[in-house]
Amino acid sequence: MKFILLSAIATLGLSACTANLSFQQLPFDAGDGTINSPSADMEPQMADRYIVFSSDRRRRQDIYLYDVVERRLIDLPGLNAQDALANHPSISQDGRYIVFATIRQGRSGISLYDRQTRQLRNLTSNLQAQVRNPTISADGNIIAFESSVNGQWDILVYDRSGRPLDVPTDPR
Amino acid sequence: MPRSLTQQWLNWGMGLSLAGLVVGCSQIEIPLISSSLNSGNSDEQPALSGNGRFLAFVSNRQGGRRILLYDLQQRRSIELPGLNRPGAIVEHPSLSYTGRYIVYTADDRGRPIVALYDRAIQRSQPLTLSYRGQVRNPNISPDGRYIVFESGNRGQWDIEIIDRGLNIELDKEEGERERGGAEAST
Repeated sequence: MKFILLSAIATLGLSACTANLSFQQLPFDAGDGTINSPSADMEPQMADRYIVFSSDRRRRQDIYLYDVVERRLIDLPGLNAQDALANHPSISQDGRYIVFATIRQGRSGISLYDRQTRQLRNLTSNLQAQVRNPTISADGNIIAFESSVNGQWDILVYDRSGRPLDVPTDPR
Repeated sequence: MPRSLTQQWLNWGMGLSLAGLVVGCSQIEIPLISSSLNSGNSDEQPALSGNGRFLAFVSNRQGGRRILLYDLQQRRSIELPGLNRPGAIVEHPSLSYTGRYIVYTADDRGRPIVALYDRAIQRSQPLTLSYRGQVRNPNISPDGRYIVFESGNRGQWDIEIIDRGLNIELDKEEGERERGGAEAST
C-alpha cells in the first residue's frame, strides 16, 4: 500500500516536471495605466517583448500596446480614432507594424500602423466587402484577413504594401 | 487553368477511397488535400507563421469544423494528423515562427481549453486542464515559449500568460536554434 502511494506521488511529480507550465498574472491597475484594467482587455497577441490587445477601458474600444520587459504601456499616437471602433490587433516582432480592424460608420476596414513613421494606412479601401480578423506575420511581411466578398468568409493574403499575394484562393 | 473532368474525378475517387480507408479505423481523419486556400464554405480566423510561409485557419469545408494549415510558398495544404478529432470544436489557431507549434482552443466536455499541437511529434497537449476560470483567444509567441490568452477569472476578460519554461525547443528559423529563452519579467 505504502509502495503504491509512493509510486503515485512519484508519477505525479514526474508529470508535473514534464509539463513544466507556469501561469503568470500580468499587472492589474484600477486606473488604465497597465495591461489589465477593470474593463475588458481582449484579443492579446504576443511577439517578442510586445503584447498588443484591445480594451474598452476608456468607454470605447481601442488598441493598446504593452511592453513585457519594461512593464508599461507604449503610446500609439494617431492609431486610435474618435470615430472608429478598433479591434483584433496583431504586431510584428520588431514592434514596428500593427495591423488591426476598424469599424467606422458601419463600414469595416483593415488598417496598418507604422510605429516608426506614425503613419496609418487603410489596406482595404477599394474592397467592397466586410473584412475582419487581420493578422501580420512576426517578420512583418505578410498580412492575412477575412473578407465577405464571395458571400461567405474567405481568407485574403496581402504583402505589407497592400498587394494581394499570388495564392490560389478561388473555391473549387 | 481548368483541369480536365477525368482528372477531377480521379482526384475525387482517390480522396473518397482514402476517406473510406480512414473511416475503417477508430480515429476518423478525413484528408483535406487542396491546392486552393479557400473553399466553397467559410474559411475563417487566419493566423500566419512568424516567417509568413504558413497560414492556419478554421474551415467549415466538408461538413466539419477543422483547423487546416496551408503552405503559401508551395501552394498546398498540409496534413495535421491527430489535431482534429471527430465531434471536437476547435477555434482560434495561432502559429509559432516556422509553424511548428499550433495553439488553439478545443472543447473538453463542453468547456473550452487551450491546447498546443507540435507538428514535430504530431501530437496535441492540453495546457489549461487544471486552470480555473474561462479561457479564450490564445496566441503563441513566435519562439513558442509563451502563450497569451484571455482569462475570465476576475469576472471580466483579463490577459494572462502561460510560460512553457526553459525545457522546450524554441521555434526559430534554421541556424538560430537553441534551447530555452530569455526570461520575461512579468
